[in-house]
Amino acid sequence: MSKSEGNSKNKCAIISSKLDTNEVIIDFLKKAMDKGIFDAVLMPLKVPAGDSFAYVLIKDKTLLKDGVPLSPIMSVQGAKAVSSVTRLGKAKMKIAAVMRPCEIRGTNELSKLGQTNLENITLISMDCPGVLPMSDFLIDPEKNIRIFNEAMQKGDDTIMRPVCQICDKSSMVAGDLHIGIRGAKKDTFFMISNSQKGNDVLDKLGIDLKGDINSWQAKVKNIADEKHKKREKHLKELKSKTGGLDNLADTFSQCINCHNCMRVCPVCYCRLCYFDSDKVKHPSEDYLKMAERKGSIRFLPDTILFQMGRMLHMSLSCVSCGACEDACPMSIPVAQIFSMIADETQGLFDYVSGRNIEEPIPLITYKEDELHDVEDAND
Amino acid sequence: MNEKEGYLDVLVIGAGIAGIEASSLLSNSGRKVHLIEKTSYTGGNVIKFEEVFSNMECSTCMVAPRQQELLQDKNINLLTLAEVEDVKGSFGNFTVKIRKKARYVDLQNCIGCNACFDPCPVSLKNEFEEGLSERKAIYVPCAGALPNVPMIDTENCIRFKGKECKACQEACAFEAIDFNQKDEQLELKIGAIIAATGSDTFDPKQTPEYGYGKIDDVYTAFEFERLYASNGPTEGNINLKNGKAPKSVAIIHCVGRDQKGYCSAVCCMYSLKFNHYLKSKIPDIKIKEFYTDLCIPGKSHQKFYEKMKETGTDLIRVNEIGVEKQGQGITVKYSVGNKKGNLPVDMVILATSIEPRDDTPELAKVLGVSLDEYGFFKEENPDASSVTTSKPGVLIAGCAQGPKNIQNSVSQANAAVGKILSLSKKR
Amino acid sequence: MEMKIGVYICECGPNIADKVDIAKVINAVSSIDGVVVAERYKLLCSAEGKRFLKEEIKKHALTHLVVAACSPKQHEQTFMEVCEKAGINPYLFQLANIREQCAWITEDKDEATEKAIRLTRAAIKRVCHHSPLEKKELECNTDVLVIGGGIAGIETSLQLASPDRKIYLVEKSSSLGGLLTNFDKTFPSMQSGSKSIQEKIQTVNNNANIEVFTNSEVEEILGFFGNFEVKVKKRDEEQSTAEFNVGAVVLATGSTLFDPMQTPQYGYGDLDNIITSLEFENMNSSGKITLKNGKTPNSVAIIHCVGRDKTGYCSEICCMYSLKFVRYLKDKISNVKVSNFYSDLCIPGKTYQKFYDQTKGKHVDFIRSTDIKITKNGDKLNIEYKDENGSKNNLVVDMAILTPAMEPTSDTSRLTEVAGVSLGDGGFFAEEHQKLSPVSTTTEGVYIAGCAQGPKNISDTLDQANAVTGKILSSLIPGRKIEPEVKISQISESFCIGCKTCINVCSYGAITFDEARKISVVNEAICRGCGNCVAACPSGAATLKHFTFNQIYKELMEAVQ
Repeated sequence: MSKSEGNSKNKCAIISSKLDTNEVIIDFLKKAMDKGIFDAVLMPLKVPAGDSFAYVLIKDKTLLKDGVPLSPIMSVQGAKAVSSVTRLGKAKMKIAAVMRPCEIRGTNELSKLGQTNLENITLISMDCPGVLPMSDFLIDPEKNIRIFNEAMQKGDDTIMRPVCQICDKSSMVAGDLHIGIRGAKKDTFFMISNSQKGNDVLDKLGIDLKGDINSWQAKVKNIADEKHKKREKHLKELKSKTGGLDNLADTFSQCINCHNCMRVCPVCYCRLCYFDSDKVKHPSEDYLKMAERKGSIRFLPDTILFQMGRMLHMSLSCVSCGACEDACPMSIPVAQIFSMIADETQGLFDYVSGRNIEEPIPLITYKEDELHDVEDAND
Repeated sequence: MNEKEGYLDVLVIGAGIAGIEASSLLSNSGRKVHLIEKTSYTGGNVIKFEEVFSNMECSTCMVAPRQQELLQDKNINLLTLAEVEDVKGSFGNFTVKIRKKARYVDLQNCIGCNACFDPCPVSLKNEFEEGLSERKAIYVPCAGALPNVPMIDTENCIRFKGKECKACQEACAFEAIDFNQKDEQLELKIGAIIAATGSDTFDPKQTPEYGYGKIDDVYTAFEFERLYASNGPTEGNINLKNGKAPKSVAIIHCVGRDQKGYCSAVCCMYSLKFNHYLKSKIPDIKIKEFYTDLCIPGKSHQKFYEKMKETGTDLIRVNEIGVEKQGQGITVKYSVGNKKGNLPVDMVILATSIEPRDDTPELAKVLGVSLDEYGFFKEENPDASSVTTSKPGVLIAGCAQGPKNIQNSVSQANAAVGKILSLSKKR
Repeated sequence: MEMKIGVYICECGPNIADKVDIAKVINAVSSIDGVVVAERYKLLCSAEGKRFLKEEIKKHALTHLVVAACSPKQHEQTFMEVCEKAGINPYLFQLANIREQCAWITEDKDEATEKAIRLTRAAIKRVCHHSPLEKKELECNTDVLVIGGGIAGIETSLQLASPDRKIYLVEKSSSLGGLLTNFDKTFPSMQSGSKSIQEKIQTVNNNANIEVFTNSEVEEILGFFGNFEVKVKKRDEEQSTAEFNVGAVVLATGSTLFDPMQTPQYGYGDLDNIITSLEFENMNSSGKITLKNGKTPNSVAIIHCVGRDKTGYCSEICCMYSLKFVRYLKDKISNVKVSNFYSDLCIPGKTYQKFYDQTKGKHVDFIRSTDIKITKNGDKLNIEYKDENGSKNNLVVDMAILTPAMEPTSDTSRLTEVAGVSLGDGGFFAEEHQKLSPVSTTTEGVYIAGCAQGPKNISDTLDQANAVTGKILSSLIPGRKIEPEVKISQISESFCIGCKTCINVCSYGAITFDEARKISVVNEAICRGCGNCVAACPSGAATLKHFTFNQIYKELMEAVQ
């Protein structure tokens, strides 16, 4: 059964619990580890210093209680963490990876690109309230953990990353299991399975899929529709500010070519980025000629080339997580721009990155009937 | 056939798509090929099409690389303006006499700059363009013809009719024009012969009910191909004789079928192709196709038909059909069963039957092979591969053997080569 | 070694000389680093011109050559040969097109000169970065694997087999012959089908150069053109495998019939006396045509185009064999009435219409019809249909023969994996090019023939079998080596990240994945240098020989500066 089929089966389990979301997830993981279903768990933990969170691969189940699945920040994009574990071969332990929907989607994309081996990995997601922008969080970590938790309770996203505020896929089920909070009655949670792997886990835990997820689906749709409207409005404004060569140049005029965005991006997987290679390093006479022709030349050169080139290479797989914008030292709204373009490039092929692990990336598929808007533009 | 020693060179008659493919494959195997072509250019009928069904690929783009390779292939001796006059001997041991007409332009010196055309005082109808445009007495049949070297039409050149004229020679900077060239007679020692001389189309003047030649804007398929062709007489603009674009077109299938007695296999498909041609130039144009049976065999062709249907064109099955002049325009009168119909249109295109060329009987006699009852070269055994004739060593390929599409012509060309090579001593 | 570039500008008579100020071009290029000589010449492609170039190369001990003249399509090969003869690697040469792309299309002489300067300088900058590429030669095996022992496979085997070319003919069923063994006669000659194929089978069995495997399937094919490694599994007691090497593979697996159980409106499998064409052929071959109750049918309906709506194509042969069936019936049953229910009569080609004309006649009907439904009518069959005017009608008959569409065989999918080819329209094997390469596939060395490529009649099948013969005999020649393409792709081991994007976009199956090193590797024998992988690789790990980033970049930078 493919993952996409699992979704349409509308099966789920209803779990009663007075615990909060984080605790419910940890409890679930503990039970699973007790039964030997998982050998290890990958999820965010608060770092010892207390002022940040990091993905930790936990083997000792007594440490599970320190986990924070819904951490206030996304320091490392989860897809990168999973990829690090299994890039060179499948994991010899059974691992549960607990991540946000966009991180799961990133993992799916990396799997399609041969950068992650998902055998023995169970991907678990949850309804995501968003994450705080890193720079905001770091002003006062302790206070901001509280503020984040409160906002999460209220469903308030105005303090989250800009791309989180306009994300309409915060409940997308793309992994094996998903914990749903939205539309649930008090003290209950939805446990949704999206694959045979998910089914097997719940089976081994004795959790029956007899529940009805209609109320979750309805609430999720509600939220997604609202977010979608917000997204359209925001991106329309953004387009008018950044559209056209002059606006584009202005928007990226602060870029210092540090390539941080590329480094933290889960989908940028190249061993040596094209834009770090010799191909963009030219003999001095070339620069002098350019200076001659145009009157002057800025250094480091080719920032727009880097931004557009990176966009060209990864847009079809962009999951709009916002890691890039967090990492930009110059506060350029790069995630919002890339997310806006990803909507369009993926839209050309009716593709949504990472939603289905079996769906091939459009670059390598050929359909007789496609790209008419591009092809027939001049007919 | 037995294995024979003897000459290994192969004579291929006709440099259309079948001849080109056969020559190319033989050259790959290391054989020397003498490719004889009656006209001054290679490519035959296929280069008259702008696009081919069913992938609508650009025909010249498809064939031009093959023609180019041909010209540079060291194993292929291309003789244009040449005909086979006599064949003696048998498989492995033929002596062939070729008559090569003078081109009056040196193939080595001429670089194809076309400077000699303008000064020529003689203008005539261009046969390649189906008479829809003019050429000079020194000419290439179309832009992009290969070899890109003109010839002098001595029947119409005033110098060759006795007048004093050196206009073309004076315009040439490469001393490529030589009025003293003479026809040549060559004798070749040949192992095997492939006749790939192609076909002609039925002349609808023989069926006056279609109004061809009497009513303006009634075209044959080939004439319409040239109208649509981007290197054609109108650079691809489809206009009526009065200069306006047509608003409605009738395409009539099976023209000449009753007279010939067979189905020409390609006309339904190219008529559907014409639908695409017309819609791409004139999107609002109304098209009706009149047919008897839709003949679209093969794994790819019905898909093409379904796509054409989506463009809104009607296909109307008819028992009888005629074309009449109606005021300034045309009326197509047709009947199907007991229903009769009248359709006013601006333009009519006739899908004419494929028939053997006029020179086929003569060539058959020279080669010592027989013709079938329709005048095509006769295959030895209709149940077997149809490329062998009753005369060992003489093979046939393409439309010279019978009406067929390009794919089957190429298969036959390759099959003829297969037969020749499998009978060689060294393989 | 020091670079010594010679630059020669062709006047091409007045073609270039009149439109471009060649003296200015010579001036503009002489100053480039590495250029030791820059001259003009009247016509470089002439015999004297080529001699001149050869002498110049020797005189100045040139290492690289640049010619500014006409289109590479015309004379790149010519000048590369000059280089080779004069001792320079032919790839250390670049041709700048200042005729078709400059002199012939630019009116203003100053503009044309400026453009010619840019084009020539760009060519010089490019050639500095050329590598001396070398031709490779590979040994090849000239034996051939033919998969499928029907008429196409048999014909191909017989045409190819010789003392220095062994043929391995693999047939999955227990005997050779394929569909033809069922046909008493074949159209249009009405000569014997089954007898002639039996004779051919005998010839195959007597041919010492053909090894026949029946009850066998090809399990694995590794390698490439000239060097395939084949594994055949035999369904015998020991389940043994045979392994051997060949140079080429021919897929001649034929076709099967659409199952009319999928179209219940025809009543097949449900009502008595409704049979498929194949079942009718067998009945006819047995000598007697009878109904289930043993009686002789007096009226027979032949239903054309069964399954055509589902498959989406016309199977080409059914109208003709329906006419053949009319003759079978008339031969065996006097006064039998035959009704053909058809949509369009498909009888293309010079001989078929005559066959139709001679089959028409008394008691033979052709009913153009749609919406056919067959129901029981006592011990007869009732055929409901809509006629050509759209009105409902019906006919009662004793027996109905269905002509189901021709479909690819069930193992076609499996064989695409084994042989590394793809499926095209209708699920049949895809030819390399619809018009110009009907029997080749995009995998070099793997050919297709007969109904495996698409529905067709026997004569066309034999043409294709002989066409494959032609292809193989002209490329796999004993003693001759194969020269693969020189300007091919190469993938850097250190930069490849193993995402397999290149493998997915390669049309020729020329890239494989090395599981041990987790990188993609180009097979130099198969790569055709199309550049798809180079364009698709996001990190630039894949590069194309003779079209490297550096070469193109330097050329471009010079052209636009």
